[in-house]
Amino acid sequence: MAITKLAFLVDKPPYKTETSRLALTHALSSQSVEIYLKDGDNVEPFLAFIGDGVLNCIKNQKALTIYDVTSLDMHIRNALLFGLNVYVCKEDIRKFGLTEDMIVMDADHPDGELKTQIVPYAEIEQAIESCDHILFF
Amino acid sequence: MKLGIFVSHFRFNTDTYERLKAERLGVIFVQNGIYHATLRENGKSSPLLEKPAKFYVLKDDLETHGFTNSQVDSRVKVITYNDLVDVIFNEYEKLAWL
Amino acid sequence: MGKLTIGTFSSLIGSMSLDFALRLAEAAINKGHKVDFWVSGNATMLSKKAQRAYRDYSFLEKKVKELIERGVNFTACEACSEARGYHKEDTMEGWKRHNMDWYLASCFDSDRVLHIGGE
Repeated sequence: MAITKLAFLVDKPPYKTETSRLALTHALSSQSVEIYLKDGDNVEPFLAFIGDGVLNCIKNQKALTIYDVTSLDMHIRNALLFGLNVYVCKEDIRKFGLTEDMIVMDADHPDGELKTQIVPYAEIEQAIESCDHILFF
Repeated sequence: MKLGIFVSHFRFNTDTYERLKAERLGVIFVQNGIYHATLRENGKSSPLLEKPAKFYVLKDDLETHGFTNSQVDSRVKVITYNDLVDVIFNEYEKLAWL
Repeated sequence: MGKLTIGTFSSLIGSMSLDFALRLAEAAINKGHKVDFWVSGNATMLSKKAQRAYRDYSFLEKKVKELIERGVNFTACEACSEARGYHKEDTMEGWKRHNMDWYLASCFDSDRVLHIGGE
């Protein structure tokens, strides 16, 4: 029985490339990874948005309405709904002049209790230290 | 933490690079990252080499870009793909590609 | 000997990251390591059969076939492939196609994971 911790780190902004979308879709796929693993084994991913990556976390994105593609904030909501820890770098939010009320903070769903954690980079660093593998997007 | 960072770009936002820290840190220059191991822009070596880390540059990418071992900064070790496998398995537990 | 999982989403043409990744995979199996090779996003182009060799473009089909023969486990993201019009019948022999969870499962028991992002 083992748990492998995976850090999904995103420092690219959304939409221009597929990069941050792939970070989210790969992380979300952890929901079904058990089919490949022995009973009791699992992976435990977390998502951390740093640098330009925090721009993925701005709420009210209209990609679905305008371009008919799932918006990145929808994926972040799903990540929270499925119990993935989502960290957003506090210093970078401030750097861009964003405020916390502009950030996706919850799953916006009755079953979603987990909140986005806006934390200093030092806390994200600790999470990186404690993971087994880094997937840098 | 033992962390190996792959640098594949020449011009890029170095904020993340500067933030990444580890007890044992290695930086492997590949693709256009090799310019950090070779160029002295305006007479100065790359600021990326100021990080407290071991530095490596991939020989095949160095030569692909028109450089030779003799043009590599003395802080940087030239390695082959075979060496790189050993660096990955023996020196660093976690890997990040920038 | 260990297990190396390489994941990438860089395209076959327009980036040299797949060239790098295949050479690294080859060097790893030469040293007796096991290699899982995952492609998603634009990198699923690598799984397409009947690539034609031109000197101005990376031609990696031959190298992939050699590495499949030598035991490298190549897997492409099924949804990423289908979204690009690469269907099962377009895929090179020896490739597997799975959901993204396969990659995470590969990471689970891997000694080293190199995820080549940065695009």
